[in-house]
Amino acid sequence: MTETDEQVALAVQGGAANRFGELVERYEAKLLRYARKFLLDPEDAQDIVQDTFIKAYENLQSFDTSRRFSPWIYRIAHNEFVNALKKKESRRTVFTIDFDTLFPYLQAVDTADSVALERDTRETLEKHLDKLDAKYREPLILYYLESMDYREIADILHIPVSTVGVRLARARAMLQKQAKGQNIYE
Amino acid sequence: MSEDFRDKVMAMIEKKGVAMRPRWHFILLSALAAAGILILVIALLYVISLAFFFLREGGAWYAPSFGGRGWFVLLHSAPLLLLILVAIFALILEILVRKYSFAYRAPLTMSLGGILVVVFLGGFVLAQTSFHRRMEFEAHHGYLPPPMGFWYGSMFRPPHPPDMRRGVIVMEEPGRFVIIGPDGEGTSTVILTPKTRLPYGEDFAPGDMVIVIGDADGTDTIRAFGVRTIEERMEIQ
Repeated sequence: MTETDEQVALAVQGGAANRFGELVERYEAKLLRYARKFLLDPEDAQDIVQDTFIKAYENLQSFDTSRRFSPWIYRIAHNEFVNALKKKESRRTVFTIDFDTLFPYLQAVDTADSVALERDTRETLEKHLDKLDAKYREPLILYYLESMDYREIADILHIPVSTVGVRLARARAMLQKQAKGQNIYE
Repeated sequence: MSEDFRDKVMAMIEKKGVAMRPRWHFILLSALAAAGILILVIALLYVISLAFFFLREGGAWYAPSFGGRGWFVLLHSAPLLLLILVAIFALILEILVRKYSFAYRAPLTMSLGGILVVVFLGGFVLAQTSFHRRMEFEAHHGYLPPPMGFWYGSMFRPPHPPDMRRGVIVMEEPGRFVIIGPDGEGTSTVILTPKTRLPYGEDFAPGDMVIVIGDADGTDTIRAFGVRTIEERMEIQ
């Protein structure tokens, strides 16, 4: 029987450092996909994901093995990716004061899209993702490509669950506008 | 590809001599964060209760029972410096707790609002005890070390509104009475008119501690807009 990520992490914490490679293998493809879609730069993606794994290794003792490993490593990846974007876009601030996280929103329900709607959204997303701001790109990637729920996304981005819903709704609307050839920031 | 990548990461860890940070490092960081949070909560409770204490001691706390003008007196007497400290401490506390899921999962206004509600309630309760009165007494007699005594100096005290008096009745006549300040400093003659608001009745007697707001004519006479007793009684010095 395959060991869970958490069991492998526990073994690494206990001294089996070589087993960290198993975790790398399990998350390599997922984090590379996340990096390529989020950073929009396939060349940098590999290096940044490598740095993510190194950072994860350094901080592995802080991981609580009674919780899920996946949001933990995605959180590290998120931080690395945001830092990379900040370096790259030094003249533009990637995330400043985020008014989306200030107030409560009613739109917090994790609504399962219909299969057709989800397929359409995925198709539009593949075509137009690069037109969106990083702030809206990221929840879309995590929700549609990494199949995470609102709470997991909230834990990775450290934002309220209701804000995840709001950003996804806005991002979908932007994608639809983009698909129709309209300016998404009007 | 997968094995290549895995080997590359593992080789890099080895080559760079990357070591796992020990568990105690994270425990220490968590303990420091927890200590920081605890210190800030205590500081907030202290400062807020001190603000309530100053408002009660100055009498402005009781002024809203006279209506709009009373509320104005209360706002005018707000200990601004203490409130600025509260805002700064609350923001730092919010930054410290933001890394915990209970905080980041809630909108900023709600988690910050929650912090403020809790510390204001706690501060209000603390202000009901004799803690600050004892501390103030000790500070005035030089029994407290300077950093603590400093809080009870004039710097943090709210301004005393010119149209408010607080004191003990020392003499009463129909339509007027004389009060003496709580520290025995100065007397004021309070004139009651048919328009004077008396939210707690008009049975005043010598020895009662009262709050008066009204129009002072530049002398020690004040034409009362409102008068009320406060529960606190004080020995006439």
